[in-house]
Order: sequence, then C-alpha cells, then structure tokens
Amino acid sequence: MSQPFVPKTAWKSGVAKTITFIVTKDCQLACKYCYLVGKNEKERMSWTTAKAAIDYILAHEDFFKEESVIWDFIGGEPFLEIELIDKICDYLKTEMFRLDHHWFNSYRFSFSTNGINYDSPKVQNFITKNHSHLSIGITIDGTPRKHDLNRVWKGNGEKGSYLDVVRNIPLWLSQFPEAGTKVTISSADIPYICESVLHLFSLGIHEVNINVVFENVWHNGDDEAFEKQLMDLADAIIDNGYYQDFTCSFFSELIGKPLDIERDNQNWCGAGRMLAIDAAGNFYPCTRFAAYSLRNKKPIIIGNITDGIDSDKLRPFLTLDRKTQSSQECLDCEIASGCAWCQGENYDAASTSTIFQRSMAICRMHKARVRANNYYWNKLYRKIELEADICTKNTNCGLC
Amino acid sequence: MLKYLIILLDKSSIPFCHYDRKGSDCGLISVDNLKEAIKFGMKENLMIQFVYPEYDLPNEYLPIIDSIDHINIKPFIQAGKDDICVINISDAGELIQQIKHDTVVVRGTICEFSHNINLFKNLIYNVGRVNVVLTSLTQTQNIEISLYSKFLDETVDYIVSETKKGRMLPKLNILTDRLTLDKMNNCNAGTETITIGPNGKFYICPGFYHDSDTDIELNGLDLTIPNKRLYELDKAPICRECDAFQCHRCIWINKKRTNEVNTPSHNQCVISHYERNASLKLLSKLRENGPFLKGVSIPVLDYLDPFEKIINK
Repeated sequence: MSQPFVPKTAWKSGVAKTITFIVTKDCQLACKYCYLVGKNEKERMSWTTAKAAIDYILAHEDFFKEESVIWDFIGGEPFLEIELIDKICDYLKTEMFRLDHHWFNSYRFSFSTNGINYDSPKVQNFITKNHSHLSIGITIDGTPRKHDLNRVWKGNGEKGSYLDVVRNIPLWLSQFPEAGTKVTISSADIPYICESVLHLFSLGIHEVNINVVFENVWHNGDDEAFEKQLMDLADAIIDNGYYQDFTCSFFSELIGKPLDIERDNQNWCGAGRMLAIDAAGNFYPCTRFAAYSLRNKKPIIIGNITDGIDSDKLRPFLTLDRKTQSSQECLDCEIASGCAWCQGENYDAASTSTIFQRSMAICRMHKARVRANNYYWNKLYRKIELEADICTKNTNCGLC
Repeated sequence: MLKYLIILLDKSSIPFCHYDRKGSDCGLISVDNLKEAIKFGMKENLMIQFVYPEYDLPNEYLPIIDSIDHINIKPFIQAGKDDICVINISDAGELIQQIKHDTVVVRGTICEFSHNINLFKNLIYNVGRVNVVLTSLTQTQNIEISLYSKFLDETVDYIVSETKKGRMLPKLNILTDRLTLDKMNNCNAGTETITIGPNGKFYICPGFYHDSDTDIELNGLDLTIPNKRLYELDKAPICRECDAFQCHRCIWINKKRTNEVNTPSHNQCVISHYERNASLKLLSKLRENGPFLKGVSIPVLDYLDPFEKIINK
C-alpha cells in the first residue's frame, strides 16, 4: 500500500545554535525577488574579523549552551569566498578540539548556494575535506522559464542562470542524495509553480521546500491563481504516485487548523536564537536584521566582536510570542496553523520601529494554500483508503 | 485611556523621572502652544501636570496655567508645599530641614543614594511621600546592585526601628507601595499619560522629548500613537508575568536599552525585584511585632528577572 514520503527533519532541529557568517554581500546573480536590497562587492569579511568572531563565540561557552552548532555561511553567494570559508572551518575545527568545546563532536557547516561554482576545484576540495559535516542546498527554482524569470545574471540584462546551475545538480545529488532545494515564489512565478515542482522532482530532488515571499508584493487574483496551481500540483503528485518518493512543503497535514492563544503561543521564527556576523564584525539576531536586508528600517545590531553581545538587545527576540505580535484577526483565524512569518520582514514593514507587529501580507496566499492543502490530503487519503480496500480483497493487487 | 497630560513649560524644565535634560538651554513654551495644550487637556478630560524650570515664569503665563485645575512639578527652589517638589539627593544636604512638601521626587544614582543614606532617612519622615527615581539606568555597564541592596536593607531596618518607636509608616515608593498593590502600578506613558513638549508637540513621555536617539515620532498636535497596543501591559511579555507591582516600567529606558517600548532591560527588572524583595523583608519584620496588613502576601521568588521565568517555560 502506498504511503506519503516523509522528509527527514533538519539536523539537530531545535537543539542546534545557528551561527551565520555573512562572508560577502556580493553575488553573481541579481535575482528579482531577492530581499537583500544592499548587496555590494565591497563588504567582504576579512580573516581578522572572522577569527575574532570565532574567538569570542568559543570563549563564551556559558552563553552558547545549545547542544550543537550549525556554522552557516551566507552571502550574497558564499562560495565566492571559498578560501576564507575553508580557513574559517579549519580554524573552527582545531579550536573546538583545542578548547575541548562541547560542540566539537556536534557541528555542521551549512551553505545555501546558487550552485554556479559548485563544481570548481576549490569548492570540491572543500566538500571532500568536510563531507561528513556538510549540509549544502542549491537553489534552483524549477523549469528554465520559471528559474530564469527571476534568477538572472548581475549586469547582464535578463540572462537567466538555469543552465549554469542545472549542470551541477547531478554532481550535487551524487554527493548529497538527500539534499533538498529551496524555492521562493513571488507574484510573477505563480503560473509556473506546478510545472516547476514537477521539474525539480524529475531532476531527482526529493525534497522541495517552497514558500511565498513574505514581502507585500501580492496583487488581486494572485491567491486564486496560486490555489489553482497548487490544485494542479496536488493532482499531479497524487495521480502519478510521486507522494511516495517526493515531498513538496506546500502540502502539510499540520497547516490550516485553529491555534490556541495560550498553548500555541510560540514564535514562528528563530531570530535571536541565531547569531549572524557581518564583515564589520557586528552581531545580528538574524541576517535579515543587517542593513543590506532592510528597505525601511535601521539595522538591529546586538553587539560586536569587540564588546560582545548586549543581552538587553536580545530580550525582545527571546520573549517574542504569537499573541503579542499578532493582530486580533490573526489570533481569531480558524486556519492559523502554518501561517508563517519572517521577523525581519515584520520589522521592516511595521508602522513603528518594532519587531512586535506581524505583517499580514501573505494572509490571502495562506488561505489559498490551506484550501489546496485540504484538497490534497482529502484526495490522497481517499486514494490510499481505496487502495487498502483493494488490497484486502485481492492479495495480488500489485499496489503493495 | 488617557488620564494625564504632562506639559513641559520649558526646555530646561526640571527632569523628574529617569531621563536627563538635553543641555541646559532655556526655551519657554509659547503662549499659543500653552493655550492649545491646555485646551487639548480640557477637551480630553485629562489631569494636567505642569513641569517648571528653575527660573520664574513670565507673569503672563500664570493666569493661563491657573485657568485649569492642575498639578505643579517644580524644582525645590520653586516648589510650594502642595507642589510636587523635585530634588537631587546629592543636593539635599543643606536643604533637608526645609523640605516639608507633601510629595517629593528624589533623584540620584545608586551611588549617590548610598552615600547619602542618613540624609535620606531623615527625608522620608519629613514629607508626605517620597518617590525615589534612580538615574543613569540607561548605561550599559553593570549597575552597583550590591550597593542598592545594602541601601534598601538599611532603609528597611530604619523604618522598622522607627515604627517600633510608634512612628507611622512613611510613604516610600520603592518599599511601601508594593505592600498595598495587587496589580501593576507603573508610569503608563502612552496609555494613561502623554506629554507635550515646549515646542508644542506630543511625546510619549519627557524622556522621548529630551532624547533624539529614541526615534518615536508622534505627529505634531494630532495625537495618534502608532502601535499604541505595545504600551499596554498585556502586550509586554515580561512585565505581564511580573509581580514587582511598584516598578516604574519606564517606557523610555525600555526603548533605549532594548529597542522596544514593551521590553524592560535586565537592570530595570533586577532593581525592581530588589525593591520588591525588600518590601517583603519590611513586611516580615513589621509582622514580628504583631499583625500588620492582614491578607497581604508577597511570595518568595527564585529569580530576580522574570525574563528567566519566561525563557525557562
């Protein structure tokens, strides 16, 4: 009997501290939906800054008590700085060992890359050296026309990057067969959602993590078109049996339920429980609070490599809950579960300089997703039920 | 619902809370702005509190001020018996015998209070009520909390000994308010109180007028407070879990130290808990002499900062 594919949960989910090095604010691409409004070629992290950040973090084991650590590298495009990253990772390993740090045997190096120079010798040498401790995600948005709609080369007109990325997918999947990709949907992408997810499945990517952008970019009718795309996708996944081997994060049994105001009061996002460091040596509660990520607001800096972390600046992040930041409409919403938010976008879009005002820009998109999601699970469980029925009547049904 | 309107009559009006003045320049509110501010207070049914500078106001201002029932907040050298008198503890030495006001706001750093404890002990029995206001709480360095703890303990012991001699319990915000409160009694800037600066513009409190770093912009004389809900206790995740009911819950220090008006700094919480715990000590010691405030109970806590309680949930 067929069963839905269950994706693996993230490494040490919930018990690992994520520490992000913003190694560069440069990227080969100029993706149209990119939230990084301040990308540039100048702000590259120096080894001196990286080392000082590591020394501070490893010297304050009492402050960083999480069981495990994810050393995350982000850009821009992080692999543009592969030599620096290699040096950072070597230093981290030797220092964690030298200090007998509790993270020595419980760490990961994590990357989210555009995949363009994935096959370069320097990147490949790095992967060979650190393979057992690596998580690498390559971002590919789907079919060539969907991918190239947004993910275009910087300073090169509208030249898309699909071919430059897709050529590295087989190598990537051979090295990380269980890797997933992350897809971002903005208004212009909606017509291509179904074909794109199916295309990614056809490339051998079993886990497609996909979300709509949190920014207020949505137009009238986008929700209906989105719902239609997800219904088509649901039909394709179920009718072709893809649900047994593949997963698309748009469909989840956990979404679309009411939430209890007291019991389900936790914050959605991990801002403040993470730490990000930029080229200037400033600390942020998440990369989304760095200046290059913000359109309207000042960055929220919670410390730096010289003075350390100002724990007062972290208190709002660590006490954020759903109840305090949500509107009454959100609290009363009967399909609230799974309606995500980005703390950085909330801050950037808020009417005052606060992280306690939840943006409602994706409200209609969430409602559309929930309708399609309900359709998906009703259809899938009915199919499984009918198959089970056949199985009990015919032991040679060929479905099991 | 707004209840109080603070009108700063001058740029150099006496600071009566945690904030400090920006510079020492004078800058008197215009007659027109003063009249408009008073008219606003009358239309909104607000109790007006005028905050005075150290110099005498021009005569033409006095009848305007007297056109409405109000409270005066004045520096010691200006204050009459019924006015709220503001003085720095370090300046009180030679003046102590002259301070006989109904309500006195005494400002100073922890060190200044600690060094002047004998003066302070005299003061609390000279006047109707003392409101202690600690300054320099926006600094990042560690506060002298052990000094403050000692100051509170000594004051508790003094009050207990004086009570045994038959004196009435003084009214002192940091020690006696908590004995009779059963819910938060904070400054409530932004919910119950609003301020008009000498430039005629609205501010959440005088701290925001004097501190241009705290970027909360209110819109001229059209009073709309953006994200007003964040000033309410229910939208303050730490404070709504707290029972240091006497805490000022200073919105300006919150914004300054944590970037958020609804989140107190660690120091603000710890100071308030030392005060709360000292109130408990006072209550226990007074009860050693017989029944006192029957029904009042202040539980023993295992933390000094309710933030710990929240993140350990």
